Amino acid sequence: MSSKIYNVLIGGKAGEGVKKAAQVIADLAVKHGQYIFQTDDYQSLIRGGHNFSLLSISDERTYNTYAKADLIVSFDQRSILRHLEDMAEGALHFCNEGDSEDARVIPLPLSALMKEHYQGPAHISLSAVAIFAALCGISLSALQEIIKAEFRRQVDENIAYAAAIYALIKERYPQGQRSLAANPDLPAKNYTGNQAIALGAYAGGLDYYYGYPMTPASSILHYLAKMRDTHGVYAIHAESELAAINMAIGSAFAGRRSAVGSSGGGFALMQEGFSLAGMVEAPLLCILSSRPGPATGASTYTGQEDLYFALNQGHGEFARIVASPDSFERAFSLAAELLDLAWECQSPAILLTEKQLSESMINLNLPVDDLHPPLSDEAKYTEPYERYALTESGISPLKFPGAGNCAEDDIIKWNSNEHVESGVRTDTAFTIVAMRDKRNRKYESIVKATQKYQRIARYGQGEKLVFAYGSTALELREAQKYLPFRLVVPIYLEPFPFEELSEYQGAEAIVVEHASHPNFARFLKEKLNVKIKTNILRYDGRHFHTEELIQKLKEAFDA
Amino acid sequence: MRKLISTKENTWCTGCGNFGLFAAVRKSIQMLHEAGTPMADIVMSAGIGCHGKIFDYLEISGIYGLHGRALATASGVKLANPQLKVLVFGGDGDSLGEGLEHTLFAAKRNMDITLILHNNGNYGLTTGQASPLSIKGFKGLTTPMGNVERPFTPVTLMMEAGASFVGRSYTARIEHLSQMIFQAVNHPGFSFVEVLQPCVSYNNTYQLYNEHCQIMSEIPESEEKARSLAKSADPIYLGIYHQEEIPVYHQQIQDGGASLTRAQRLALLKS
Repeated sequence: MSSKIYNVLIGGKAGEGVKKAAQVIADLAVKHGQYIFQTDDYQSLIRGGHNFSLLSISDERTYNTYAKADLIVSFDQRSILRHLEDMAEGALHFCNEGDSEDARVIPLPLSALMKEHYQGPAHISLSAVAIFAALCGISLSALQEIIKAEFRRQVDENIAYAAAIYALIKERYPQGQRSLAANPDLPAKNYTGNQAIALGAYAGGLDYYYGYPMTPASSILHYLAKMRDTHGVYAIHAESELAAINMAIGSAFAGRRSAVGSSGGGFALMQEGFSLAGMVEAPLLCILSSRPGPATGASTYTGQEDLYFALNQGHGEFARIVASPDSFERAFSLAAELLDLAWECQSPAILLTEKQLSESMINLNLPVDDLHPPLSDEAKYTEPYERYALTESGISPLKFPGAGNCAEDDIIKWNSNEHVESGVRTDTAFTIVAMRDKRNRKYESIVKATQKYQRIARYGQGEKLVFAYGSTALELREAQKYLPFRLVVPIYLEPFPFEELSEYQGAEAIVVEHASHPNFARFLKEKLNVKIKTNILRYDGRHFHTEELIQKLKEAFDA
Repeated sequence: MRKLISTKENTWCTGCGNFGLFAAVRKSIQMLHEAGTPMADIVMSAGIGCHGKIFDYLEISGIYGLHGRALATASGVKLANPQLKVLVFGGDGDSLGEGLEHTLFAAKRNMDITLILHNNGNYGLTTGQASPLSIKGFKGLTTPMGNVERPFTPVTLMMEAGASFVGRSYTARIEHLSQMIFQAVNHPGFSFVEVLQPCVSYNNTYQLYNEHCQIMSEIPESEEKARSLAKSADPIYLGIYHQEEIPVYHQQIQDGGASLTRAQRLALLKS
């Protein structure tokens, strides 16, 4: 594989700070002018088990991890055994003295040094940071600085311990393993996909986010909660997903932009509220971050089983928007776009993503200046105001309650029952048809509204055609560094971007997705009559390492 | 002041307790308006059931939400615009069955909204099934041999959940009920009003309530006393059981400021 990319793997038990160590190494690498890509493999437990983090460090943008690592630090025996086969040629695999007799691993006196330097609780995770710094030509002062900033407890002990490890590695490997070229002007801040989504929604006007913890969507809730006092956005942990979506619709009624987010199980609970949004015509952004199901499934892993679930969310007939970001930049811009679209079309919109994007991390400049300007909100009202005025576009003017927002005698009624124009309930056959037709006219309005945005992405050149959506596109873009092919990614899934994709009508293609049923392939067949040459499916909850995906693609191309 | 009755045909049964409740609500809204609340600031939400029909009959803004979810919807409304007075209409099946979690949590948070519970002791609109407030032995479509479950006592339930205003009134005591709703809406924090509401079709309790209801002269001096009075079957005590001023949810988490503009947000993200 590319000699430019330096791959690091940190493994150990939950609670040992595996992910933290990788994050701090990523920070150090970014400070030294590198691109990083980090993915964490962890389980739904707090102590024990086996966690590991993969980090790709490179002079050029990296979109995915590699199976073979150049540097491995194993904090326990299980990690050593699990990752013996993951060593690249010339890899250094460090472990604690006494944990392994295997000649391939290099024992270090981690415990002995911890005993020497700590009175109380010790941080084994620091050793990985110090080893990395010493092997990659990072100065001791830079190491100490980041340790001070990132490990706030037992600072003096941390610094002494890290310095001891650093000296030991420097002594044994005076040449180091890799020198990091200091590329100028690279993005200096790291973001996970969920952070990019949260910030994009915020940029798009989000004031209220309602959620209930469910991996891998929870960190949106956490991240926005921390932004309250600095950014004026409110993240509310509701009593359930049922509450969350109904609260969000209430906030939209009162004129504030709101959103909800969950994974499949929580989204299933929100179906009823999603349908309510369709009926009352509430503008609502819903973030669905998938993991393998059904039911509780594999909570901390990735999957793309929910494509049709998203497309068909909610009972009854009504228009919605579904789109899936194919990159971290798009996670930001799409969240803003979808919130704008939801308000422009007074319809629910789903941002469909997966754990692989939600929880992976890269260094990134948020495309803040590339966002479309907000819509002007000049609405034409009829007198008296009628919430569900029958319009040609199917979109009726919005007014909000409260002195200052509406006239004293305006009546603004949103109704979950079928209703007449004023918002009062009806069961009249004629009106049921008129209102259904009004809402159906929104399909066309939504198509028009989405056309101002980038609805598909194309990457690479080559004879072979590959389709994917969501974070699978990231895996494929990394593979494109080694194998030429054309990658086509629909960003918008509903409404389907027929205009942009018409040239692929009936084309032969390979489809890559993370599901056991080729749902996305079926979708492409339905929409474009694409002839599926091969389905590359992965459904064990793991993402494709770059080497594995290249192998699968080669087999598919040669078939 | 504009009229509060819409032109929508009223389909409550003749003699339904909801008529008294509707009259009392209109009276309290008039009192709120006369006390200085703009009509534009009074909004409602309702669940699904006979109670929910009030949404169509009452000429104020609001959301006719989903069965059981009206309190969650109302909480979102209040958070987004704290200046609004938010009245929530719920049925006993709606607010204490399907939506019990939202009722308990609105009280727990001390969300500054008012729940008016139409307690008719059964599911009326679905033609008479046992509700969470049906008495033991109630014979309905789902309990033809008699209800074996014991009913909740809404007043004590809501006190335990943390409601900072808890009262009980009766649809046939319109003056008492309208005063209580007025006080409940003006109370800063979560206010809960249990309204005893006879259902002439499936649970006619007029005679029971007319004979046994008694208005308390004052708020019980202790929570213990309040609990024992609330559980009393004879007399059935009407009045405010509990009232305290404690911090309101939205005031503890937000400053109530205006939404930032796109430009302000982008500037913050770049800083």
